This record gives sequence, structure tokens and C-alpha cells, in this order.
Amino acid sequence: MTPIITIQGLRKQYGDKTVLNNINLEVAPGQIIGYIGPNGAGKSTTVKILTGIIQDYDGQVTVLGKNLRDSVMEVKSKVGYIPELAELYDLLTPREYLTFIGKLYKLDDHIIEDRATRMLTSFGLIDNMDQRMDSFSKGMRQKVLITSGLLHNPSIVFMDEPLSGLDANAVILVKELLQALKQEGKTIFYCSHMMDVVEKVSDRIILINNGTIIADGTIEELKQGNSDTLEQIFSRLTSNGDFVQRADDLAAAMSDRNDLKL
Amino acid sequence: MNKLFLKFAMLPAPFWRSLGADTDQLSAILDMRLMIDNRRPIGFGRRQTQKKEIKHGTITSTILFTFMGAFYSLPLFVVPDRVISLALYFTIIFLMLTLSLITDFSNALFDNKDKYTLFPRPIDDRTLVLAKLLHIFIYLMRMVIPTSFAAWCLLTYQDGWTSTLVFPIAITLLTFMSLFVVNGVYLIILKLTTAERFKDIISYFQVIASVVFFAIVYLRPRNINIDVNALDPARYRWVQFVPSYWLASFWKWLGHPTLLGGGVVTTLCGLLVPVFCIVALVRWLAPEFTRKIAGIDGAEVSMPITARGKKAKQNRLYLKLATLFNRSDAAKAGFMLAWLQTSRSRTFRMRVYPSMAFIPIYFIYLLTQNGSSIAEAFSALHGSRKYLLLLYMSSYVLINGLSYMLMSDQYKAAWVFYSSPVDPPGKVMIGAFKALCVKLFLPFFIAITIFILYIWGISVVPDILLAMINVLVLAICMARISMRQLPFSSMEHMKQSGGRVVRSLLTMLIPGVLGFAHYLSMEIWWLKLTLAFLSVALLWFIWESYATTTWANVRKEEM
Repeated sequence: MTPIITIQGLRKQYGDKTVLNNINLEVAPGQIIGYIGPNGAGKSTTVKILTGIIQDYDGQVTVLGKNLRDSVMEVKSKVGYIPELAELYDLLTPREYLTFIGKLYKLDDHIIEDRATRMLTSFGLIDNMDQRMDSFSKGMRQKVLITSGLLHNPSIVFMDEPLSGLDANAVILVKELLQALKQEGKTIFYCSHMMDVVEKVSDRIILINNGTIIADGTIEELKQGNSDTLEQIFSRLTSNGDFVQRADDLAAAMSDRNDLKL
Repeated sequence: MNKLFLKFAMLPAPFWRSLGADTDQLSAILDMRLMIDNRRPIGFGRRQTQKKEIKHGTITSTILFTFMGAFYSLPLFVVPDRVISLALYFTIIFLMLTLSLITDFSNALFDNKDKYTLFPRPIDDRTLVLAKLLHIFIYLMRMVIPTSFAAWCLLTYQDGWTSTLVFPIAITLLTFMSLFVVNGVYLIILKLTTAERFKDIISYFQVIASVVFFAIVYLRPRNINIDVNALDPARYRWVQFVPSYWLASFWKWLGHPTLLGGGVVTTLCGLLVPVFCIVALVRWLAPEFTRKIAGIDGAEVSMPITARGKKAKQNRLYLKLATLFNRSDAAKAGFMLAWLQTSRSRTFRMRVYPSMAFIPIYFIYLLTQNGSSIAEAFSALHGSRKYLLLLYMSSYVLINGLSYMLMSDQYKAAWVFYSSPVDPPGKVMIGAFKALCVKLFLPFFIAITIFILYIWGISVVPDILLAMINVLVLAICMARISMRQLPFSSMEHMKQSGGRVVRSLLTMLIPGVLGFAHYLSMEIWWLKLTLAFLSVALLWFIWESYATTTWANVRKEEM
């Protein structure tokens, strides 16, 4: 099957700091990819490159069969991006904001109206559709943000911590949504720190640390016959596992105790 | 420089402590704020340029303030009575400071960016309020020092070392007075109203107050060539109630007698009223500040559908207009965003709407420059060609609106432009430009046109049309040269806040040149026609260039 995303030798530097170091990756269509890693590992940078937000990088990136560098607008029009707790123009109402976003994707008015209404109804926000978002809670904003990322019916959806701020019911809804999108043949690139969710929803898990992929496979392949959870695998691969000692040291520092083991 | 100002603001630390503020926290907060101001966000690959821009901006404003300060100190030259001349001078500075406080620093007291950083900490309301006020004070001092420099030199030269020493004290007290009076009014309103209504009330107050102060500054009696000997002290007893006179009366003790009296009481007022204002503000008005401020935006609630919401659903004029004026979807998006945001952003309304009132005030100011009364000036209008003044001054509204349309507290929300397939981004920018023209400029220009037609008649229609094209050329030109940014994608920086009033007035000079060219062509019909053709061609050319701005040419803030 032709990969829907191909990354070859991807590197990205900010000044002297290397954020992505020779990433090579192929993603088959219709999969849910769990893209995980510690803070600062390079997850968001990868996603920003794949969505065309960051354009100065080294290496080759092909999305939907198009070279990203040459066809960035075409790629942007076919992918959706849902950032973590991103800012939105909250003086607008969801209806106005989604109309604005729809226009950026060249959608017809009636399509915007229809999709926005149906999606916000599913999210339980239909009564808030004409209220300014400055009075919205974090979860309500995140729902509008998810709607805005899906409004143009993208083939690939990049989600960067989409569950941030959502309550338990909304989390269940989004998890079901991921499966529904997969059924529709969409590819989902899902970044998160919520290991249990990633473990449950992902067809394939990619673990990145210090800008390099250090593990790649299904959850079963990553377990390698052990009964470890994803959280344990994550911890084993990205830290030296001395959490008890470090927690102790933290508590000691707080109370000015001098039993720090350096 | 900031460290020096911080030390200066913390000089009366024992006094701040006696008011109930925690000076360690106060100093830490101020230090942090000044550090943040120095570290504005930077765009991709634009680090050096922007730093230089800030530095150049600061130097330019300092030069501007010094220049304006020399102009303000005119009374000290021409009025022989030192106390009266200083009273006039302090009044001008007081008005300038108050206007600047209302227009430039109006939201500094209420911005609740501290909601998650400071509000949860054990910081007293008094410390928090004082920190905010002293932060503004530091920025005021950056304006006041260059502005008062000329007067200080002059006083040193004319009066000797006593004035050299007393003047900085008086000017600092004046700054405090202005700072605490304006913010005192805000806090009183905050105390008397609910957090929800406060936003609207303060917004109207700011618009009205800035217009009133602008009117006072420009329509005040300008005949400062006072014949001191002809003054009747009995008629001027009221000056003893004017704060700037209290401060000027300090000079009475330095051996400068005055005709208008005053003495111990006025001097004591000058010294004690600023102190009283500080005490009143920090002791009585500051408590409950955090709770109220947190309540202004702190509605993490799901509200039932509101009347305003229903109205918004029915009234979707912006969509119809966006379709009417734009062909591409990106331009429609820019038009819609600009239309809606400019209606709802308090900052935008506060900064731009008063400029519509400033134009007629400034027009009257220019008309009465020769000493004639307003009635005399109006009756002589018909025979003149002063309508050109009014027409070209209207560009101020559009250019002012354009510059504020780039700014937003939520500038980070502009990430959507970068992730969506918008190409070229100039389409969004031109859409937003059109929205501002239709919504802000056109109604204002029509109102001016009606006035002009009433006074001068139908014969000036060609001039009105030519002026309108020229104003549009000017605005699109400024947008193309210095405002190639996506709408609402840039953050407003406190460091650049000061001196907007002065800068705005300078913006009026450029249309002046265009207007003068128009004036010269009035008698020669073919020249006027040539100018019109040239303007239309120029408008088309620059319009196209702006509308095709590529991503490489867009100025960005960090997302």
C-alpha cells in the first residue's frame, strides 16, 4: 500500500539546538498513529512540519503523494490540525469562528453551516453556537477547536493533545470519534501524554526522544512478550526510572532537608 | 535604564509598606514585568531586526518627546510671572499625561494576564494594585523625563539651582497626581459596578474622556501672551483650586512673587494631595481588586443562549457584505474577521473610535489658529478652500484603524492562517482592509462630505472624489510599506505604548503634503485631471501589490 506520509532524513534545528534528528517514517493510510514522547522530544515540531506551519527543515517529506515543499498549499487543504489548547479569536461566536475557518478552506456557506451545526450538536454545544467564546470553559473551546480542524473533511488529521481540558464524557466521545474517522478511511496522527488512551486507540505507536525515533510498532510489538503497559514502556525507554528517589529529593528540597543523594 | 526606574519607584519603600503593601513582593513583581517588557515575542528568523526596531523606536520617541517638551515650555519664555508660567506649563503636561493614560495605558490596570501567575499567590490586593500602578508610572516617567527636559534646562538657566532641585520634585508629584486620579476613577467605577458591566462602562468612559481631554488640549485658550500687569487677581481666585497651580506655587518660596496669591495652603495641597490620592487609592479602593478583576473575564461557565446571540444569528450583515466586496474566500475570511473583531474588541473601539471625534476638534483648532472665534471661523469657511483640510485629515481615522487592526491580545490565534491553505496571505489582508474602509472610513467620509456639501455646495464634488482616492492611496501605501501583517496577529507592547498621541499627530503631516499638492492643482483643471488619473493608477498598482503579499513578506510574531 502506498504510504500516505513519508518522511526521510528529517532534521530541524533552532539555533544550535537540534529538535529533530534524522527522522525516517512511513505511515499507511487509514491508521491511527500514536506519536508519543517526553516534553521537548520534538512531537509538536514534527506535526507543525507535516501541517506546513514550519517550512524551513532539512530532509524530504511527502504527504498524500505530494512533496510538502512543492505543494504545501495543496497538502494544507487536505489535512486538519487540532493543536493543544490553542488560542482562538474568542470575541467571535462558534458560528462566526467556524464560518471564518471554513472560508480559509474555501468551503461554501451552506456546507459550513450544515457541518458546523451538526458537529456542534454532537458536541452538545449547539445552544452556545451564537455566544461569544470569551465566556467558554477550556473544554468548550477545545470542542470548537476540534470542530474547526475537521470542518473541511481532511484526509489526514493531526491532533496534538486533543483531549486537553475535556471532561470524561467528552474524552469518551473523542475516542469514539477517532474510531469513526478511521472507519471513514482517514489517517490520524495523534500526539498525547495520556498513555492509556494512546494504547487503546492506536494501530501503531511511535516513540520519539531527543528528536529521534526510539521505538515503532504496534502495542504488542512494543511489549515484546512482557505484560508492561505503554506507560511502563515509555518510562523504561525515556528515563532511568528513578522516580521514587527523585520524588523523595523533591520533597526533601521543599522542606530544606539535607538528605539529597546527588 | 529600567533598573534605575525600578530603584526610583521603590525609593519610598517605607511609605509603600505603611500603605499595606509588601515591598519585597512589589519589587519582585515590578522587576519581572520590566524583564518581560524587554523580551517581547520574536518571529521566526527575525530576532535581530525586531530588537533593533524597539531600540530605534525608543530613541525616536525620546527625540519626539524632547521636541514636544520644548514646544510645551513656551509659557516659561513668554509669561514673566514664574508661578503663572509654571502653572500653565504644568497644566499642559498634566493634560498630556492624562490623555496618554486614558488612551495608551487604559487597560494596563485591568488586564488579567496575572490570573494564573499572581492571583493564586499570597499577594495582597494593595501590593498588586500598587505594582500595576508603579509599572505604569515607570512608563510615564520615560515620557515625562524627555518632555520636561527643555523646561528643566530653561529653569536652571533662568532661575538657578533652586529651580533645578525643585522642578523634578514638582514634575514627579504631577505625574503621580495624574496617574492616581485616572486610575482612581477606574477603581471607583470598579467598586460601584458589577464586574460584568464594568467592561462596557469603562469602555464608554475612556472614549468620552479621551475626546473631552483632546478637546481641552486643542481648544483651550491659546493666547498665552498674558499681560501680567493687567491681570485682575480677583477674577482668578479659582486658580487656587487647580492642582497644577498648587505645584507652581512652590516657586513662591523660591523668591518668585505672584499676583494671583496662594501660599501655604496651595503649597501644602501640592505636596499632600498626591499623597492623599495614593493613600485613598491603595488603602480604600484596592481591596477586592483581585476578586473583581478576576470576575471580569473569569466566566468559566456555560451560559444560556442570550438575546445578543439570537440577534447575531439573524443579523449576519457581515456575511452579505463580505460576499459583496470580495471574490476570493480568503479575502472574505479577512473581511469577516476584521468586521467582527473591530466591533467587539474593547481595545480597538477605545483606540480608534475617539479618532473620529479628534478630526473635527483638530479642524476647529486649525480654523481658529489666527485668533478668531469658532463662529467667525465658520462664517468665513465658504470663501475658503479649507474643506481640503477636513478631507485629508480623514485619512487619520483609516490609518489609525489599520494600525490597530493588526493588534490583538489573542495574536496567537493567528496560527489558523499558517495551518490553512491561504495563498497568498495578501488576500486576507486586503479583505480586512476593505472591511475597515466599508465599516469605519466610508461612514465617516460620508458624514464629512455632507458637511462639506452643506457649506461649499455641489461644485466641490470633484475635489471630494479626488481627495477620497488620495486618502485611499495613502492608506494602502502605509499598509503596503509598514503594515504587511495579517489582521489581529500582532501583540501590543507596553514599551511602545507611550507617545501614541504625538505619533498620531505626525501621521497627519503626510496627508498634509498630499492635500497641499491637491490645493496647488485647484486652479488648473488639466493638472487636477492628471492628478486624478495618476492617483487611480497608483491606487490600483499598490492595491495589487498589497493583495499579492506572499508568505515570505508577511511580518510574523511567534505562534
